Amino acid sequence: MNLFKRAWWRLTATLGKTLLLTGLFFVVCALVLSGFLIRSAADRAAADAKDQVGAVATLSFDINALMESGRAENGGASGARIDPDDRLRSGKADALGKSPVVTRFSYKVESAGLATEDLKLYRAVPPPPAADTESGDFFKVEGVRDLAAMPSFRNGTSKLVAGKGIGPDTGDGVLVLEKRLADANKLEVGDEVTMRSFPGDGSKGKKRQFTVAGIYTSDTASSSQYTPALADPGNLVYASPNAAGALSAVTPTDEGSDIQEATFTLRNPGDLPKLKKQAAALGLDPDIYPLAVNDKQYKQLVGPISKTAGFATLTVWLVSLAGVAVLSLIVASSLRERRRELGILLALGERRPRLLGQHLVEIAACAIVAIGLAVPASQALAGTAGSSLLAGEVSDAENDKADEEKNSYADSMGGAAQDEEPAAEPIEDLDVRLTGADLAKVGAAGLGIAALATLIPGYRVLRLKPRQILTKGD
Amino acid sequence: MPYDDQAPVLQFCGVDKSYPLGNRARRRTVLKDVSQDFAPGRMYAVVGPSGSGKTTLLSLAGGLDAPSAGTVRFRGRDLDRIGLDTFRRRHAATVFQSFNLIGYLTAARNVTSAMEITGVRRRGRKDRADELLGLLGIAAEDRHRRIQELSGGQQQRVAIARALACEVDILFADEPTGNLDQDTADDIVDILRKVAHDDGKCVVVVTHSAKVAAASDEVLHLKRGRLSRR
Repeated sequence: MNLFKRAWWRLTATLGKTLLLTGLFFVVCALVLSGFLIRSAADRAAADAKDQVGAVATLSFDINALMESGRAENGGASGARIDPDDRLRSGKADALGKSPVVTRFSYKVESAGLATEDLKLYRAVPPPPAADTESGDFFKVEGVRDLAAMPSFRNGTSKLVAGKGIGPDTGDGVLVLEKRLADANKLEVGDEVTMRSFPGDGSKGKKRQFTVAGIYTSDTASSSQYTPALADPGNLVYASPNAAGALSAVTPTDEGSDIQEATFTLRNPGDLPKLKKQAAALGLDPDIYPLAVNDKQYKQLVGPISKTAGFATLTVWLVSLAGVAVLSLIVASSLRERRRELGILLALGERRPRLLGQHLVEIAACAIVAIGLAVPASQALAGTAGSSLLAGEVSDAENDKADEEKNSYADSMGGAAQDEEPAAEPIEDLDVRLTGADLAKVGAAGLGIAALATLIPGYRVLRLKPRQILTKGD
Repeated sequence: MPYDDQAPVLQFCGVDKSYPLGNRARRRTVLKDVSQDFAPGRMYAVVGPSGSGKTTLLSLAGGLDAPSAGTVRFRGRDLDRIGLDTFRRRHAATVFQSFNLIGYLTAARNVTSAMEITGVRRRGRKDRADELLGLLGIAAEDRHRRIQELSGGQQQRVAIARALACEVDILFADEPTGNLDQDTADDIVDILRKVAHDDGKCVVVVTHSAKVAAASDEVLHLKRGRLSRR
C-alpha cells in the first residue's frame, strides 16, 4: 500500500530523526520491559514463598469478647467461664484440621503433673529454706497434637535431640522431656516413668505410667535465681492431648479435652475466609474464638521483593505515561514540521485516515525495532537494577528486623510475650526471566504508546485544510 | 445523482468567497458573484492584477476550498456533494506556484505516489512517470534524485509531470511558467495546449504572462473579485 511505501521512504530519507525516535522508544520500552520483568520475577518469588511457608492461622479464646457477649457463666473467684457447649475442644479442632485449605495443624491442651519418685522436678537453683514450694511445685504439661508444629519447634528455639516427638498417630502413654529434666532424672528414650495427675485440690492425684518417647532441648535458660518449678523451662513436658487431659483437673468429654489455642497452617494466606466459614459451621463463635492469620513469615520472605515489584510497577506506569507524553510532543512537533507534506498529499486527494496511518506505521516501525533492541537490554537492566533495588529493600528489612528484635528483647525483659513465629530470611535473589507473556505485554504497551502518541496529536491532521497550508506556506 | 456528460466539465454559479478579517465580525470578499462555464478540450487563462483573487478562484475550482455562497459544479454535480477530497482525487489536479513536491521523495516517486493516490492503475505507472518526466526535460539521472537536489526549474517540471500523470479531467496550473526560462516555458505551454486539445482535458492556467494568455483558447479577466471575458 502506498502509505507503507511512503512511510518507509520517509523513515529512510530522514534517518537521523528515525534513529532519534527509535532511541527514545528503546529507552521507554527497555524501562517498561524491565519493570514487567521485575514484576513477574517478584510474582514468581511470591508464589514460591506461598508454597514454601504458607500461613499460620491461630484459633484462640478471647475472654474479653466472651465477657462482652454476656454468655459467660459466673465462675466465682476465677471470674467468667465459657458455656460448656461453646468451648473449644480437641474434637472440633480435629474436624477443622481436616479442611482442604489446611496443610497441617496442632493444638495445645494445657495441664499439669505432679512429681513421683522416678520423675523428680528439675531445679536449677534449690529453694531457699523458708520458701513455700507447694503452690508451684509441679510439671507444666502441654498436650500437643503435633509437636513439630508448635511455635518453639517451628522457630527452632526447641529441638528434638533424641527419640521421637509427638504426632497425630502417637499413643497416649508417652512423654517428651526437656534434656535438663531427663539428665536430672538420668532418663533416656524408652525408659518408663510415672507422673501423678494434678487434681488442683491439694490431693496427690492418680499415678500414671508413661514411656519417654523423646528428649528435646530448649534455648530458654533457667533462671539463675530460685523460681517455682512450674516456671522453669526444664519442667515443661509434652504429652499427647488425651494424656494431658487425663492428667488435668478437668475430665475430658466425648468431644475431647478443652484446648486454649489451635494453629492451622494454610496452603495460602488468602484461604483464611474459607477456614473461618468452616469454623463457624462447627459452632465456634467467631467473636469468642477469632481466627487470625499470622502471615508474618510470608511477609518477611516476600516483603522486600514486593516493595521492589511495587516500585517496578510504578516505574512502568510513570515511564509509560511519560513516554506517551514525550512521544506525543515529538509526533505533534513532527506533524507541524510536516504540514506542507500533509497539505500536498491532501491536495492530491489522499484520505486523511491514511495520512494518519502513514504516521502510525512510521512510529510503529520505530517501536518494533526498539522493542527488539529492548529485549536483551531490559534483561540486563532488570537484573542489575532489580538486584540493586532488592538489596536496598533487604537491607532495610534487616534493619527493621534488628530494631524489632531489640524491642522484643526489651518487651520480654518487661514480661511481655515473645513473638513465637519463626523468623524468615527475605528473598534476596531476583530470578529475571523473559517469557512470552512479558514480551506480549511490552509489545502491546510499546505499540499502545505508539498509537496514543500518534492519535492524540493526529486530530490536527483530520482538521487540516490543504488550501491554507499550500497557499500560506509553512 | 450521476454526472451529466452534457453539462460543463466545471461550472461556477454565482460564487462568492469571503474570508473573516482579524476581528471576525467583518469579512473581506475576494470573489463576487462569479459565474463561468469551463469546457473540456479547451485551455483557459485567468489573468488579473495581484490580489484580484486568482489563486482563490483556482482553489475553489480545484476543490481545495469551498465557496462562501453559490456553487461549483463538476459535470452538473455540486463539489460539496461529490466531496472535495474525492473531487481532487478523481477529477482535478493542480500545479502549484510553489511546486509543492514532497521533499524526501525522488522526482519519479513524487509522480508515481500521486498516481497511486489518484488511482491510476498499477501497471505502467513507472513507465508513464518516466515518459512524462522525459517529455518535460528531466534527464534520466535526475529522475531518481530527491526533490531538494533539483533546481527550481526542474522542480516546476516535476510538478507539472505529477499533475499530468494523474489522468484527471481538469488540470489547474498556478503560474506554471513563472520559474522557467523562455524555452522551457514555451515547451510547457505547448504541453498544456496538447493536454487540452489532444487529450480533451480542460486546462485552467492562472498567469501573468501575456504569452501564456495568448496561447490559451479563452482569457478570463479577474478584477476586484469579478470575472469577465475578454
